[in-house]
Amino acid sequence: MSTNSIKLLASDVHRGLAELVAKRLGIRLTPSELKRDSTGEVQFSIGESVRDEDIFIICQIGSGVVNDRVIELLIMINACRTASARRITVILPNFPYARQDRKDKSRAPITAKLMADMLTTAGCHHVITMDLHASQIQGFFDVPVDNLYAEPSVVRYIKEKINYQDAIIISPDAGGAKRAAGLADRLDLNFALIHKERARANEVSRMVLVGDVSDKICVIVDDMADTCGTLAKAAEVLLDNGAKEVIAIVTHGILSGNAINNINNSKLTKVVCTNTVPFEDKLKLCPKLDTVDVSAVLAEAVRRLHNGESISYLFKNAPL
Amino acid sequence: MRDLVVLGGSSHPHLTKSICRNLTIEQGQVLSKKFSNGETSIEIEDSVREKDVFIVQSGCGDVNDNFIELLIMISACKIASATRVTAVLPLFPYSRQPDVPHAANITGAPLISTKKDSYTFESTPSTPRPLSRGSSLNQSYFADSLPLSGNNNNNNTSRDGLLERATLNNLKQPQPTKGTYTPRSIVTNSASTNIPVVDAYGKTDNGYKQWVAQNGTLIANLLTTAGADRLITMDLHDPQFQGFFNIPVDNLYSRPLLKHYIKDYIPNYQDCVIVSPDSGGAKRATSIADSLGCSFALIHKERRAKVAKNPPSTYASSSSSSVNLLNSVSTSHTNVVATTMLVGDVKDKVCVLIDDLVDTSYTITRAAKLLKDQGAKYVYALVTHGVFSGDAINRVNKSDIDRVITTNSVPQLDNVSVIGPENFEVLDISRILAEAIRRIHNGESVSMLFDHGW
Repeated sequence: MSTNSIKLLASDVHRGLAELVAKRLGIRLTPSELKRDSTGEVQFSIGESVRDEDIFIICQIGSGVVNDRVIELLIMINACRTASARRITVILPNFPYARQDRKDKSRAPITAKLMADMLTTAGCHHVITMDLHASQIQGFFDVPVDNLYAEPSVVRYIKEKINYQDAIIISPDAGGAKRAAGLADRLDLNFALIHKERARANEVSRMVLVGDVSDKICVIVDDMADTCGTLAKAAEVLLDNGAKEVIAIVTHGILSGNAINNINNSKLTKVVCTNTVPFEDKLKLCPKLDTVDVSAVLAEAVRRLHNGESISYLFKNAPL
Repeated sequence: MRDLVVLGGSSHPHLTKSICRNLTIEQGQVLSKKFSNGETSIEIEDSVREKDVFIVQSGCGDVNDNFIELLIMISACKIASATRVTAVLPLFPYSRQPDVPHAANITGAPLISTKKDSYTFESTPSTPRPLSRGSSLNQSYFADSLPLSGNNNNNNTSRDGLLERATLNNLKQPQPTKGTYTPRSIVTNSASTNIPVVDAYGKTDNGYKQWVAQNGTLIANLLTTAGADRLITMDLHDPQFQGFFNIPVDNLYSRPLLKHYIKDYIPNYQDCVIVSPDSGGAKRATSIADSLGCSFALIHKERRAKVAKNPPSTYASSSSSSVNLLNSVSTSHTNVVATTMLVGDVKDKVCVLIDDLVDTSYTITRAAKLLKDQGAKYVYALVTHGVFSGDAINRVNKSDIDRVITTNSVPQLDNVSVIGPENFEVLDISRILAEAIRRIHNGESVSMLFDHGW
């Protein structure tokens, strides 16, 4: 007899978010085991029956061994499928390879599309993600994709932790203007834009500020912070233009390379990331980091999905 | 060969180079690097439009990294309008299917049974509960989640509680008479009404047999999804693996190479004994022994929960010295005694161990020791894929194996420097692969390579 209950699975590497979600849902994580043999190949086993159950796999992919995490995830999905799960939903808060979403050079791969194909091939029926770098990536999938927003959680953070009447929302590049403008509208704040001329990937050249930031608390909003070079440069530009303080809020704090040094040496007062990407270890190294918990949003999405309720409520509201 | 492009992944650049030299073509240039967050970035610098592309990538080193790199390269060539993309995987990653964890006293999923006195036709079978595992992580996790089911403290009623819960949603079912249903703590949302029963008390024997992922089909499907049209590999661990694919798979054999080696470099090779280190490789070894006219021996490992009463009577080929070596191997489940036995006569003979893959090298070094104990004069080890992961190469160096012969399906430079070139020989497979590529490109038959090598 199947109970068709929620079964929450997580990789053994980053369980933090999964455990928070499980706690929210009042369930426990399904015991599972990932083993790596001496050659690096992965073996996965599930500790209890998943036949005819509703499977949710939470996978946090940060920086470092991205490819290992991807293969592990694919093996987990496939294991559930061959174990006769009723439905497999993958929760990938930070979608890997999201920035390689177009053929920007001759013979360049569209790796985001490849990831989408591989997830589908492995057997997942539904994908939940958060703040996709480009929402068009949803179209790469043949299965439904729910792109959740961190915005409601960020709005709450700004309202609670920042003296937001004096604040102004900044977009660090033209591509994020829409995101920043949306947030500014929600908070009824002004909005400014930094325009940058990019010479090479991960390197920043010249920045031009559009808008007035004098004596304001600047809140830079972006979907992803990698080496944080952009954020540090943007902070300088803003302070040169008379800003009182600069705070950065990013959804996916990948913080790779010498990001921690960049933040510590920069003029940013605070860098706030959601916990979509595991960075607990970095909190100790960098006192400027702060976290926004999005596990409530994900847990509510899981609950609604399981019960066949609408998810769109979560686009505007963050459950407590 | 105008439309032929050979690209190499980062796993084995040497092999790619020598394949290209054998084909007398220039290697296609690929720029493979990592972004700072660890994602792989591929740029194919030569045009592949309307070309026949071969991508060489072995399943060694960082297996997962290299595999994803291969997938990205295939996909990049595909969307760059390549006519056909063939993946050349001398060592196929994930070709070994993991064994289902097996212990003699746990035989599969538990039988569904209820107590006889409470049995009715309407009663519902209980769901098998998970196998409790001893790892501290799970213990502490169960401990954390205990309050969820904290009301159900009584050991005796836990099973009835389970039954009760199972029937709770279906009111047509009669409620079991035994046990009292205690409601869970406050139900905050509808999802938590289906809390699975926490396995904190249930250290009973009715465990759910762990589901182990079988990765073969997945890997095959991923390659196909990325856009591979054809596959070349060598000495697949399981020949059935070809059936996982919907695209043609050319499984080349290293057998001709190994045969040549035995014929040319082992003195008086007719007198040597071909030995298979495990029963799985018996077929591989016998086919070589047959074609060379050598005698054959087999090492067989049995895993039993108890010491075997009698070794199975061996239909020995010759004077039948079947020997038992009792090695007590403790696995996680139960104390299993591994019985290693040799079938066949190796006394004062030169032995040639033949295996397709050596990874941890436990099997082959143990086999060599057994052979030497039984009076073998000299032990060769002929291995197609010498992965030698971890400290395997040192183990081989210290073992009773006198000489190791392997192929360059994975990079062997480091291994040669450990053992020394006099006792570690590397056979070159780039000629076979290059000839296979040439034949496939020209649409000629490949089967000739199976028998004669190159």
